Amino acid sequence: MNRRTFIAQAGAALTGATLASVAPAWAQTAPDVKLEIAPLDLEIAPGKVVHTVAYNGRVPGPLIRWPEGKPIAVDVVNRTAIAEIVHWHGLWIPSTMDGSMEEGGSMIAPGAQFRYLFTPRPAGFRWYHTHASAGHDLKRATYTGQFGCFYIESRDDAGAYDQEIFLTLHDWNAYMGSSGDSSMEAAYDYATIDGRMLGFADPLRVREGQRVLLHLLNASASLVHWLALSGHELTVFAMDGNPVPKPASMHAIRLGPAERIDAIVTMNQPGVWILGETRQQLRKMGMGMVVEYANQQGKPKWVEPPETLWDYRPFAMAEAVSGKPDEIIPLRFESKFHGQGSFDSWTINGKSYPHTDTIVLREGKRYRLRMINRSTDDHPLHLHRHTFEVTNLAGMPLSGLNKDVVVVPANTTTEVDFTANNPGATLFHCHNQTHMDFGFMTLFRYA
Amino acid sequence: MKKELPITGATDVSLRVLFFSLMGFALMYPASARAQDNYEIQVYPSETMAPKTLLVELHSNFTVEGSTTTQYSMLPTQDQEHETIELTEGINDWSEVGFYIFTAEKNGNGLQWVGDHIRPRVRVPPRWHWPVGVSLSSEFGYARAAYSNPTWSWQIMPIVDQTIGRWYWSVNTTMVWNVHVVPAPVDSTPQQKQTYYRDVAPRGVTFGPASTVTYAPSKYYNIGVEYYSYYGQLGNFVSLHNQQQQVFPVVNLFVSPKWEINVGAGWGATAGTDHLIVKCIIGRYFDWSHHRTGSSDSVQ
Repeated sequence: MNRRTFIAQAGAALTGATLASVAPAWAQTAPDVKLEIAPLDLEIAPGKVVHTVAYNGRVPGPLIRWPEGKPIAVDVVNRTAIAEIVHWHGLWIPSTMDGSMEEGGSMIAPGAQFRYLFTPRPAGFRWYHTHASAGHDLKRATYTGQFGCFYIESRDDAGAYDQEIFLTLHDWNAYMGSSGDSSMEAAYDYATIDGRMLGFADPLRVREGQRVLLHLLNASASLVHWLALSGHELTVFAMDGNPVPKPASMHAIRLGPAERIDAIVTMNQPGVWILGETRQQLRKMGMGMVVEYANQQGKPKWVEPPETLWDYRPFAMAEAVSGKPDEIIPLRFESKFHGQGSFDSWTINGKSYPHTDTIVLREGKRYRLRMINRSTDDHPLHLHRHTFEVTNLAGMPLSGLNKDVVVVPANTTTEVDFTANNPGATLFHCHNQTHMDFGFMTLFRYA
Repeated sequence: MKKELPITGATDVSLRVLFFSLMGFALMYPASARAQDNYEIQVYPSETMAPKTLLVELHSNFTVEGSTTTQYSMLPTQDQEHETIELTEGINDWSEVGFYIFTAEKNGNGLQWVGDHIRPRVRVPPRWHWPVGVSLSSEFGYARAAYSNPTWSWQIMPIVDQTIGRWYWSVNTTMVWNVHVVPAPVDSTPQQKQTYYRDVAPRGVTFGPASTVTYAPSKYYNIGVEYYSYYGQLGNFVSLHNQQQQVFPVVNLFVSPKWEINVGAGWGATAGTDHLIVKCIIGRYFDWSHHRTGSSDSVQ
């Protein structure tokens, strides 16, 4: 039984009951936000149309800005032919509202509507996306355009910037392709920023001297992306919506699937530039957009940034975290080969979801996840409903870097600490859609 | 998250025109010849080398049981050791160029240069989403008459392959145009000349398909069978007795992303085939991009 089968069987049982119990409340009040999930023919460039599914007929879905701590009601109606669910990524909300079937969330049946009720927190750059399974159908789940930005406003957000821009990265038309080793991974035809290929979107218009705040989200189902703005540096001050201890300027930044970066760019190089993937193949696939200074004209220029290796450490404190966790939870990641014409299946401590061992947490205790990656792939690991602190990268300690997704490089060990402070079922998984669909998940439960 | 990253966009149309032109040309002018001689015994996949990547392969073939007499100008094959260096450089995500240096060694003769071939190859890019992999190889070159007849040859080889779960198959429809063959001995009778130009050194196009089927119990190795043949001139095949029919049980090892190894032993089933050959291919990949794995410039 793979994840899709599991979801289909469990969803059929749960959906009816859940919908029946909450349905009467919908009619009482208007929602704060309404999302409609429906098929969309998305024109990513003139003549290039992607047949996908999206929120409210657009990619990305509508930006949701909401004050921290103020309850919100989001109605989601499903106009597609398959059950869907919306996950609120990075928010500390109850399991039943988190938007994960595995945590007990409700699948929204075709034609049905569901109201998500929760109080958004913590402040920062979060996002929302489908949490359905794709399996072998690479036109479903996060391969589609079902994603959007969710910005939770802090009460004391000073806003030291002149312009604020949200940008989302995504890859389209996935197919089963070969990877660097014998295993198969999703490969793509196109890549976009905000649903448009390089050269086919309106340019970002800026003025000399402006401080532009970029909120960058990698909404790809499986690919890591690098971004650079030609001739400019990006000062990274937050990751996954959480301020970093040591903001640092970079020529290029890396985003694993589901990762976010907040960066400030000082516009001090008048001209017409390309903000794009650092790798030529990805730019040719479409990942880029034009940044145009006021009163500047001409062909957009791409300036190759210096080759960059990504490391979380420059943004964190070099010291180890003070104090020891109450418990260390070892999690060993491995793959099982099923042939060069199939996707691998994945295991955590030797078992694939839904057969993985459920890990029991005690409220208030601090846990360390020791993630031992024994595969030849890098994995973006995501913990639902909690924020963790990255405490060790391949044997090197660090502290102060709070995230909800961390990329664990191949054949290395990464450790993160978190406090069990949000009771309820909590999903932990690789954010590569193929990996999670083929077993790379496990569930934490509170005692 | 290592991915194949196909290029897209305006190149598609010109690529299609080029591919179909080459395929049409191949069908109009089929070449024949001994597709796989004993210098590079390999069934090709449709996939081409990644851009800025060089694969250096050493093909080592030893004929345990072969011909024992000089036939026309060709030396006996038994106990010959063939060492071939094959260099393959990826051009873009749909083409590559290969270059061969053939050598042979036998007691008494020392290591001898045999010849060189060049082999451009194009493939259907993955973004066309064909159900099977398809590529077209064209190989041209020279080999000394003491070791090869024809001396100058041009090979056209459509390649089709597919992976289904743990299974993989590939068919190389090899056709060789013998551009120049060693002339028949001057004292040959007309009958002997006719036999010579039919069975030994056809002047036209010869046909010799090769294929493989493998099964991968692990991502680190697969086992399989390779088949090589030579049927003779198109439309005028030689008798079964004189055809080449050879089967190699093989093991392919993928011990690291930078290395690949193929070993096998081949049995010839007809009188025209060397009866026993052992072969080994050791390949090493070199990344010319000088990008560090996982960096902002690397697609690995």
